[in-house]
Amino acid sequence: MPPAGGFEAVKYKRNLPFRGPSGLVILGGVTAVCAYGFYRVGKGNLEKRELQREKVWSRIHLVPLLLAEGDRDAYRRQQAALAREREIMKDVPGWEAGKSVYNKPNHRSAETIVVI
Amino acid sequence: MSRYLDPADSSKPYKDPTPLPSDIPKVKELGVTSAPLKSAAFFLGAYCKDYNEDFMLCKSESADPAHCLKEGRRVTRCAQDLIAKLRENCLSEFNDHWGCLEKNNQEYYHCRKDERVLNKCVFEKLGLSKTIPGAPAGKTPIHEVKNPVYTGVQK
Repeated sequence: MPPAGGFEAVKYKRNLPFRGPSGLVILGGVTAVCAYGFYRVGKGNLEKRELQREKVWSRIHLVPLLLAEGDRDAYRRQQAALAREREIMKDVPGWEAGKSVYNKPNHRSAETIVVI
Repeated sequence: MSRYLDPADSSKPYKDPTPLPSDIPKVKELGVTSAPLKSAAFFLGAYCKDYNEDFMLCKSESADPAHCLKEGRRVTRCAQDLIAKLRENCLSEFNDHWGCLEKNNQEYYHCRKDERVLNKCVFEKLGLSKTIPGAPAGKTPIHEVKNPVYTGVQK
């Protein structure tokens, strides 16, 4: 026999209570965070370019100074090598000390160095 | 007879004790290490512009080291002059900045705080300012940006 007042209604309806922010809010939030991140990346890339420019120019400004110092040293070694060659080859007739084996007048740095 | 010794394999350093020929005027070498040079680079570029350009034009004529000795001496003397002036007028600021560069992989962006103090001092005392050629016009130059993206621990 059914109970008094009849059976309880069968619970068949979906029961999913609202929890947390909606999908739209989460999506919007993620988009906002990503947008800010990309904005920073873009800004950082522009900045990196300028930092590189700064670094390169700081080196360019130093080139003449370092080159001048290196040239003086190279010239000193060149002259010493020439004097050595003259001394060693003094008995060979027709020997021109320091004469290039090439016919082009361009300067070439020494292929070999003598370690004393 | 002498045997060929590869200088790269040599146990001795490649030194030649022979001094410069005496007909070449003597100039004292600068002897400044990389961090102070980096710290002073832009002032050097501004202060010695004429001498530097003269020297580089001379070098483009001929790569022979003997060709540009005179111009080279001028460049070195000018650099010495500038370093002496920097040390005379802004010694502590200069020391702070290159010390910071030394500790921070010689990157300018780690040392903006010290750099601004140095730039200010040099501008006031020597009238030299740091300008980066080729930087986009109408924008704050990178060394004066207030809140940069790339910073060290120190802002």
